[in-house]
Amino acid sequence: MTTEDRINELIALTAEAELGGGQDKIDAQHKKGKLTARERILYLLDPGTFEEFDKFVVHRCTDFGMEKQKIFGDGVVTGYGRINGRLVYVFSQDFTVFGGSLSGPFGEKVCKVMDLALRNGAPVIGLNDSGGARIQEGVLSLGSYGEIFRRNVQCSGIIPQISVIMGPCAGGAVYSPAITDFIIMVEKTSHMFITGPQVIKAVTHEEVEPEALGGAIRHNSTSGVAHLAARDDRAALDKVRELLSFLPQNCNEKPPVKETADDPDRIDPGLRQVIPENPRTPYDIKKIILSVVDDHHFFEIQKMYAQNMVVGFARMNGMPVGIVANQPRFLAGCLDINASDKCSRFVRFCDCFNLPILTFVDVPGFLPGVAQEHGGIIRHGAKIIYAYCDASVPKVTLITRKAYGGAYDVMGSKHHGGDINLAYPFAEIAVMGPDGAVPIVFRNQIKESADPEKTRQELVEEYRRTFASPYKAAELGYIDDIILPEFTRSKLIRALESLKTKSDVRRLPKRHGNIPL
Amino acid sequence: MADVAAPMAGKVIDIKVNIGDSVEEDDEVAIIEAMKMEMPILTYASGTVKEIKVAKGASVEADQVIIVIE
Repeated sequence: MTTEDRINELIALTAEAELGGGQDKIDAQHKKGKLTARERILYLLDPGTFEEFDKFVVHRCTDFGMEKQKIFGDGVVTGYGRINGRLVYVFSQDFTVFGGSLSGPFGEKVCKVMDLALRNGAPVIGLNDSGGARIQEGVLSLGSYGEIFRRNVQCSGIIPQISVIMGPCAGGAVYSPAITDFIIMVEKTSHMFITGPQVIKAVTHEEVEPEALGGAIRHNSTSGVAHLAARDDRAALDKVRELLSFLPQNCNEKPPVKETADDPDRIDPGLRQVIPENPRTPYDIKKIILSVVDDHHFFEIQKMYAQNMVVGFARMNGMPVGIVANQPRFLAGCLDINASDKCSRFVRFCDCFNLPILTFVDVPGFLPGVAQEHGGIIRHGAKIIYAYCDASVPKVTLITRKAYGGAYDVMGSKHHGGDINLAYPFAEIAVMGPDGAVPIVFRNQIKESADPEKTRQELVEEYRRTFASPYKAAELGYIDDIILPEFTRSKLIRALESLKTKSDVRRLPKRHGNIPL
Repeated sequence: MADVAAPMAGKVIDIKVNIGDSVEEDDEVAIIEAMKMEMPILTYASGTVKEIKVAKGASVEADQVIIVIE
């Protein structure tokens, strides 16, 4: 072979590898409204930055006639590239090759990029579109899943891991995404379940469509498994790029600051009117969030799940922050099981990656009810406490209105390590509301009164004046300052900037804590 | 037919519609009080109020139907 022959050979083999499962399979993929594995990577990364690994890997299986079917790449495209100029590692399951099913060599390819990502401190992004284990490979396939899961756990908290579900993801395959930090699902074309509709029908006789069982909307709204939903492949990949723009490359770096033209001292007189005169009237907490963040831009996470709790990312004078807020519009803003899980997982994530936590509090308490108690609200609510107390990133809290009972404590209070705690003048910080407290505290006085109802009302009013305010908490130093709403943005930015040099709390040596799970 | 249900357990402090009224999506049809909050109940469907299942002042459970819209 001449030198030129050898070069032509490489060019021909490369072209063959890049065709994956062949043109007819690619056409079928497009027909479903999906991009191919390679198209997805090229769309996700900055143009011209993709460097591929293991293009010529093939499986080694000789059972069931598999030795006659070998396709370069073996069902997954892997490598590295850049997003907004920053290094990322990526693997993209190729549904056109053996249905994207996972073989031993497939798993080795995925593990290789995960290992490199970890060693180089760069995020890893997994694009999932796979029929599951490759049955012909037997237990080798299971071994590969296990190796991937273990690496997901090793990487957790060191580098950001993002999963995009862009096709089927069933059985054990769901657990790799489940361990990663964020799951983005494409509407209508993606599904996640442990056991699919057919198995469910055979075992429990329930009939359910794949979309209703484990589609993007189901996992974004009911189960809380997914964090974001996108209408198609491109929209999902756009969300990956935006999500990464808030995150550092790894746990040893600060999140990237983005220059902003938004004045840090911008005043919003409209904020005086956001909170209704009547403390019993709900309002939309997102109005306050949107008013104070840079360019009114808030990247919300788990928007459809546990809507009584709002979480997401934004920037404050260019600095990325994680925002946690109670939402009075849903379930009165109560803390329930799902809201507790949503909040605590998000706070844990922020603490992993040096994102300051900005908390907006308007919480009447934990949601009462038999279902909540039996569902373990004690266990789930405890996660919020653990997450906030354990977080050593800057923590700034603003109480906009209600902060009652135990819920006051758990929502980023001074006692749980809040660095700067502010309140609006309408804040009500107390152990319980006037209607609940007065009959207990003044039981005898009401009973002995000539007009018990009138006395009760008078006492409620007195209690409200004295205790349903921020001043008792401010007297004790639990609130550092009571602020005028129009200056919220500048007060929060100054607070966050003052904490830029916050050093990690001194922790006693231990293996690791035992968060209530 | 659309059932407008209570989002959480609470006390119905106001019913804003009568049987036969026509309502549009997102109209306020009732108010429930729970956890120091008065929550407006919005319909998610347009149509005519066919049935009002609970009286003002009654307690409701989460997901209990308050109003049926046709």
